[in-house]
Amino acid sequence: MIRTEGLTKKFGSFTAVEDLDLEVAEGEVYGFLGANGSGKTTTVRMLLGLVLATSGSVEIFGQQMPKHAGAVLPEIGALVEGPAAYGHLHGRANLAVLDASGPRGGRRSRKRRIEDVLDKVGLGGIDRRPVRTYSLGMRQRLGLAAALLNEPRLLVLDEPTNGLDPQGIREIRDLINELHAAGTTIMMLSHQLAEVEQVCGRVGVLDRGRLVLQQDLAELRKPTGRFVVTTPDVAQVRTILGQRVEGDVPGGLLVAATDAAELNRALVSAGVRVQGLVAEQRRLEDLVLAATSAGADRIDR
Amino acid sequence: MTRSLRWMFVALALVLVVGVPVALRRIPAQAPDLSAATVLSRIRAAAGHPYSGTVELSGDVALPVTSHFTDVGALLGGRTTLRVWWRGPTEWRVAKLLVTGETDLFHDGATTTEWRYDTAKANQSIDPEVRLPRTADLLPPAFAARAVEGTSARDVRRLPARRIAGIGAVGLRIHESAPQASIDHVDLWADPRTGIVLRMEIYARHASTPSFSTAFTSYSPKRPSPAVIRFAAPQSVPVRFEQVLDIADAANQYAPVVPPQVVDGLKRSRSSTGAVGIYGTGLTRILAIPLRRRDAATLLDQVSSSSQMVGTDMGPSLMAGPLGVLVTDGDRSGWLLVGAVTRATLVAAAHDLVAGSRYR
Amino acid sequence: MITVELVKLLRSRRTWVTILLVDALPTLIAVLLSVTDLGPRPGTGPAFLSAVLNDGTLFPLAAIAIVLPLFLPVAVAMTAGEAIAGEAQSGTLRYLLIRPVGRTRLLVAKLVSVMAFVLITVLVVAATAYVTGALLLGNAASTGGTVSVSGSSLSTSELAWRTALALLYAMLAMLGVAAVAIFASTAVRSPLAAALGTLALLVASTLLLPLDAAHVLRPYLLTRYWLSFVDLFRDPILWTNVVHGVIQQCAYVVFFLAAAWANFTTKDITD
Repeated sequence: MIRTEGLTKKFGSFTAVEDLDLEVAEGEVYGFLGANGSGKTTTVRMLLGLVLATSGSVEIFGQQMPKHAGAVLPEIGALVEGPAAYGHLHGRANLAVLDASGPRGGRRSRKRRIEDVLDKVGLGGIDRRPVRTYSLGMRQRLGLAAALLNEPRLLVLDEPTNGLDPQGIREIRDLINELHAAGTTIMMLSHQLAEVEQVCGRVGVLDRGRLVLQQDLAELRKPTGRFVVTTPDVAQVRTILGQRVEGDVPGGLLVAATDAAELNRALVSAGVRVQGLVAEQRRLEDLVLAATSAGADRIDR
Repeated sequence: MTRSLRWMFVALALVLVVGVPVALRRIPAQAPDLSAATVLSRIRAAAGHPYSGTVELSGDVALPVTSHFTDVGALLGGRTTLRVWWRGPTEWRVAKLLVTGETDLFHDGATTTEWRYDTAKANQSIDPEVRLPRTADLLPPAFAARAVEGTSARDVRRLPARRIAGIGAVGLRIHESAPQASIDHVDLWADPRTGIVLRMEIYARHASTPSFSTAFTSYSPKRPSPAVIRFAAPQSVPVRFEQVLDIADAANQYAPVVPPQVVDGLKRSRSSTGAVGIYGTGLTRILAIPLRRRDAATLLDQVSSSSQMVGTDMGPSLMAGPLGVLVTDGDRSGWLLVGAVTRATLVAAAHDLVAGSRYR
Repeated sequence: MITVELVKLLRSRRTWVTILLVDALPTLIAVLLSVTDLGPRPGTGPAFLSAVLNDGTLFPLAAIAIVLPLFLPVAVAMTAGEAIAGEAQSGTLRYLLIRPVGRTRLLVAKLVSVMAFVLITVLVVAATAYVTGALLLGNAASTGGTVSVSGSSLSTSELAWRTALALLYAMLAMLGVAAVAIFASTAVRSPLAAALGTLALLVASTLLLPLDAAHVLRPYLLTRYWLSFVDLFRDPILWTNVVHGVIQQCAYVVFFLAAAWANFTTKDITD
């Protein structure tokens, strides 16, 4: 669906994105991660033809960008670096203006489509107040509505839950899942790792303009074959399990085992006081932190 | 299309937009190869030939004299655009264009009608024997007619052709041979077909740039329609008749003096018979106007306060480019002397005037 | 896209407030003239203003002459400066471009909308001036018809078409300003900077114009031929400067729009 090859962008002598090979498959929810200033937004702008690449190529739906932007972009809905709207117009008028500006904005169906997307993002009941008076969350929802207006095949969402309350975040997550189920490909930019973990099927991690990790999250969720045993009798466990102890954790040990019940029985029968026994979970955060360096907004001496 | 390619396209547009007019002007002018004497005789033969067009005057002859002379000073010391329709010496119209208005002279027979848009008034007068220069005298053909007056073939030589108002004009330089002259030479460019002078430049002695130039910016040798030349006063415009045109006319008619026949070797012109003396021929002329006491005092003040003023034993004088001005410092009345002559000539002429005038 | 831009322009309250402010000055002058009956001294003040005391039908021209040097260009520069920089500042530019609206198309639509603004403003000023002139100022019919700059009588139909030409000429002059402002709008991030940049060029041109040392530059200065619409009221009409003015303004429009196009179509949209 999206494929970039050797994508590079230089602003003067500063390299924002370097030699990026990205691949997003049809129908997946792709999480695009990276610290502030790692080049995420620049990459997205290059995908959408807003920023012109210094070298390398972008292919979307099998067509070159930005050469075939006229054919590609109508099928894409996007939220780039926050929503934007004409402050003096109300929400519906903003959507109407945007719809009328581009292709496939059928006039007859416009009203119905606008009401549809407003319902989807939870703004069905907005009145004629100008957007200027909207809260951050309302603007975010309006931006999402604009992205969804033309039933896109591909959604590119930059921090879609920014400014929303927990309830709103939940709604948007449901909306994304729903769209995903309906077959829409979604590329989501975020630094909310927990959120990405819940929604995305695959992640790519960008660090200082380079793609340092691209991985299926299903892989991450697979059992590791290790358990965390919490116990005061650490020394005793070590003698019982010997080689199977693979590491220390605060207040316990990391133990290799195939079955939790079996392990528990072996320990308890040997008189070990087991306070807790859980399967080891790999967290996205650990993965990302291992792969990246400090964000570009941190300036060390 | 790449970024640099697009900008090249824009740069090309700029070069075309700016360069084409410049390049067109650079194409060398073509004019027939005529001898200087032929050009001179063609210019003389063009007297009375009709023409029309737009003329630009430009000069740096800064006259500090303001009262009674405002128009003349502005014409010689600034930039002025004129429109002209010339059917003949008695039938013409010259319009001085102002940014937000215009001042027209309509000439019919001996009657001149002056129309001023800013005051919305029309003044009529009969051309007097003597008057101060007006716009019509500064048109290239009219001005050049004076310059070639009394010029012999020995004083002229050819200049390279020049494109003026779209016409390849033949060039001619006239050296002022008279010892009294403050003008070194006059350059003329004339339409080779009609002999009408299209551009004229006046160089003072020791000057490398012209002190005054008058040139057509658009020109046609066709006879203009009479309808353009006639002034038909609209109902709302009052037309007044003026008995006296300017200070020269007034002095000529009413001053009780008779000036001498010769000053500093320059003979009095036959064209004036009154109190004003006009001496010399061609451009080397002196205009001598007798002044009433009050006028003399005002002029003395103005000339004396100029930074270019030089005191002489006849009174304060100044040279503005080739144009000399002297006001005699007498007790009863005074003379104003103006002319394209050297200071020494002015002083000598003033001396002759004061000594040789008779009272009527 | 053009329709969308026009609707945006017409529905914006700002457009109408701007037009109203531009229109207020000549109207105020008309009221003052009619109350005090004091015209400017001969040869001073804007073109035609001294004539309107006798002839109110010339007031549309006087009104254009009043607003042309400063008010109108300021209004046009502000509106045209908004074109791209305004969208960029509010962030809507990126959403328009990925909608997608072609960059060249967007530029053309903005140009058309600015042209519409110029047209509306000039027409509103002229129409208001016609009404105020007829109601408050001198009645030419009672004093014997309109007098041209050259002192000839102008019939009503002649006056009408010459006025129409003058209005078109003023619009073209404003189009030159608009082209400069649109280019500036693609080059800077803030619409205010674009408008001020354009005005700087305007002021520079106005200052250089009377300077003898800058004589060689004169034909290239933006404001060189603006007041030449007065030439349309000479008799016979002096076309030279009007024609030069038309060519020069067209050159400005072509060059600055080409520059705007070259700049905008290859620009990285990062705001």
